[in-house]
Amino acid sequence: MMRRLLREPLLHFLLLGAMLFAAHGILARGAGSEPGRIVVTQGQIESMVMLFSRTWQRPPSDEELQGLIRNHVREEVLYREGVALGLDRDDPIVRRRVAQKLEFATEHAEAAEPSDGDLQAYLDLHPGVFMAEPKITFRHIYLNPRRHEKTLASDVQRMLNELNSPASAPAVSDLGDPTTLPLDFDKATASRIKNTLGYKFWKTLDQIAPGPWTGPVESGYGMHLVQVSERMEPRIPALAEVREAVKRDWLLARRLEAGERSYRKLLQRYTVAIEPPRLARQATEAASKGPQ
Amino acid sequence: MKRNLVFAAVSLMLGSTIPLTAHGQSAGGRLDDAGTMDKKTVERVFPSKPIYSPYAGRKFPTRPLFGDTHLHTAASFDAGAFGARLGPRDAYRFARGEEVTASSGQPAKLSRPLDFLVVADHSDNMGVFPDLFAGKPEILADPTGRKWYQMIMDGKGADAAFEMIMSFSAGTFPKQMTYAPDTRAYKAAWQDNVAAAEQYNEPGRFTALIGYEWTSNTGGNNLHRNVIFRDNGDRANQIVPYTTIAPLGSDNPRDLWKWMAAYEQKTGGSVLAIAHNGNLSNGRMFPIIESFTGRPVDKEYAEQRAKWERLYEATQTKGDGEAHPVLSPNDEFANFERWDFGNLDASAAKTKDMLEFEYARSALKNGLKLEAQLGTNPYKFGMVGSSDAHTGLTAMEEDNFFGKTTPQEPSPERATATFVENPKTGIKVMDWQVSSSGYAAVWATDNTRESIWDAMQRRETYATTGSRMAVRFFGGWDFDQADAQTRSPAMTGYAKGVPMGGDLGGGPAGKAPTFLVAALKDSLGGNLDRIQIVKGWMDAKGELQEKVHDVVWSGDRKPGVDGKLPSVGNTVDVANAIWTNTIGAPELIAVWSDPNFNAAERAFYYVRVLEIPTPRWTAYDAKRFGIKLLPGTPMTVTERAYTSPIWYTPG
Repeated sequence: MMRRLLREPLLHFLLLGAMLFAAHGILARGAGSEPGRIVVTQGQIESMVMLFSRTWQRPPSDEELQGLIRNHVREEVLYREGVALGLDRDDPIVRRRVAQKLEFATEHAEAAEPSDGDLQAYLDLHPGVFMAEPKITFRHIYLNPRRHEKTLASDVQRMLNELNSPASAPAVSDLGDPTTLPLDFDKATASRIKNTLGYKFWKTLDQIAPGPWTGPVESGYGMHLVQVSERMEPRIPALAEVREAVKRDWLLARRLEAGERSYRKLLQRYTVAIEPPRLARQATEAASKGPQ
Repeated sequence: MKRNLVFAAVSLMLGSTIPLTAHGQSAGGRLDDAGTMDKKTVERVFPSKPIYSPYAGRKFPTRPLFGDTHLHTAASFDAGAFGARLGPRDAYRFARGEEVTASSGQPAKLSRPLDFLVVADHSDNMGVFPDLFAGKPEILADPTGRKWYQMIMDGKGADAAFEMIMSFSAGTFPKQMTYAPDTRAYKAAWQDNVAAAEQYNEPGRFTALIGYEWTSNTGGNNLHRNVIFRDNGDRANQIVPYTTIAPLGSDNPRDLWKWMAAYEQKTGGSVLAIAHNGNLSNGRMFPIIESFTGRPVDKEYAEQRAKWERLYEATQTKGDGEAHPVLSPNDEFANFERWDFGNLDASAAKTKDMLEFEYARSALKNGLKLEAQLGTNPYKFGMVGSSDAHTGLTAMEEDNFFGKTTPQEPSPERATATFVENPKTGIKVMDWQVSSSGYAAVWATDNTRESIWDAMQRRETYATTGSRMAVRFFGGWDFDQADAQTRSPAMTGYAKGVPMGGDLGGGPAGKAPTFLVAALKDSLGGNLDRIQIVKGWMDAKGELQEKVHDVVWSGDRKPGVDGKLPSVGNTVDVANAIWTNTIGAPELIAVWSDPNFNAAERAFYYVRVLEIPTPRWTAYDAKRFGIKLLPGTPMTVTERAYTSPIWYTPG
């Protein structure tokens, strides 16, 4: 029944109205909203025109503008009647929406530009987050286990011998089994390698020093002969390299702090009394352990 | 209790244009120089391979990028109503691989990062709040306003906001600041979503595409589209998203297309739309007769739809949309994560005659017929999958599934709860029916907005049900068996054919088209059972036909007398929610030629790849929470991928 009600266009209008409540109703305090009288101000009409223009990239025609205004009046009538009936109260969705909007307002207050000092301090505090990943340049030759069931060990040894003897080294592209796996990895990050060849492969590869062909290294796909040519170790980057990322995280942290701080402040305006919940035994126990 | 109430909408689609350049044979040419050269010298100077390094100069995509084109956050009205608290920034952080705290209070992290994400919040009722903070002259004219503005500029925005709230409630809010028209509220929410995308977009590493969902849902019939921009915030901020309520918005897709055209014309930007959940449209998603007019789809509809809707979201949490068993009775895999009870809000039940206009395969077929009549195929779309999650969490792995809505985040109750119930129609959908699906795979050359969008526009994409398998599909006239044996079939594929999403025109007389197809399992996922090619065509009588061909499979199975390949088997230990890759194959490659090709008949071909059975999310829930599930709850799943088709049109 509640579900059906929620699908009612009427309710949608009411909810829309309720949403406007905080944005508009409060702001319009004292702006002469007599009961029984609806004034559509020039400012409101201008704002309708603006919204239309930004939607359609052109101003509304007279007819379209009349439609917008009629719609506004209809919504206002339904909204006022709904509020008069108390339909905005005790509705979890309206409650949640209004709370969400207040949260949005406090968290989205634009913070000032952080200074380099702010950012450096943030970076120093969270080095792990911005640590550059290790990067490895390597190539590999894929061996499909089903094609080497009995002969894997000897095939591997033979291929490694050939690959590592400069005089007779075969073209790498002539060896190995067909695959759509990428074969050359150029300064590939650890996450890229894990993503492509799996965690197990990465764990082994991470232990291989640059040098000759070696293997086999196992992955979820089969076996691989591997030649690592370069390793770049993980390191803490300079601020200049990761400035944007640090700034993004700094802003986010500030925003969350701001939201929390303003909630704490608002909470101070209230005394909160919570009656002991009559729930299962565990809940009672849990409640008795902590302050709340 | 309230969870059965609201029900959101969702969808996706994409597309763009940039022809791929396969690495060309460009080093030929005539030798005008005098003198003699023997054969050996010529070969050295003009090798048959133009460049020594086969990888140098190649411009085609080397790995698929995985992402979600359809994720809702708390800025979506219904998601917020369901209790979602994560905003777009949390959504991007999660998709990038960071750990976040879900709205239900539990930590959440992906097994590995995704490559891209579109936060697609509903345009109707998108978060509302006036932008008091922009330093408008009216605000600065007021001493209190000026003071607050200064506080904001000094980085004390939160304190300023707090004072404002106090001022509201005390009735002392400055009059000059009370003009704020409601439109600014709307704009502010959209611009905040845009700002979040700008902050988290990191070309080369992670792409945050700007988008929103247009949620046409009249009568509960789902005609939703996700609208995705190629552009950055400078263009996206010039507009506000299109809504569905008249007179400002409209629930008719034709009006959305007009809005898209106006956007492109005004800003010089590019935008595409992806529809989804035809299964909840009650016969309206891929019409032959338009529901808005009751008249047959016309040339303009066909042209506009083909232009703006280059992709379709063929799988997601609210059911799979590739094929339906009633429409494809000979396809033993058509009955997958089926949601065919009715429309989106369960207010009208499904009837069989609706199905034809709801599923991707039948729409692709009807498109051939409409093309013959109208000159344009309105349903020439490629495929993606996406989540449509309303949690801010694109967590679609079976062992890491965070549900479609916040109440469906992991808990001992979720697998046995009711999702939708309508006593009037008798329709009841349980939470266990929610599908842990899917993702969009895109063959883009670079991980950037432009490159991903362009790949979508040229339909070089495929849908997965949550797996990250890599799937290649090329069509041409000259593929032979040796092409499946090279080390890098993709190079051959681009050199000799067109990739998924492409077109085959008239070929050499007497030749049938050939296809090079390859699939590589998800590095964390199940092995592959088989690759299939689904062909749809219009025969000489104008009848639409379809056939599913098994093209290559694991092991040495032989098709039976009925032509059916024996099952790959099943290693799932349901009680422990584990499986082994002792069956199936890690990779499958083949070249296939259409044995029943008729050069006079329009056709399409797309690939379906099936994994071996693995535990479904319900099995992980049963094991981890130690709960007993309701009778009939499926405990295994056959993850799969659907590629965009390659079309053949008689030349």
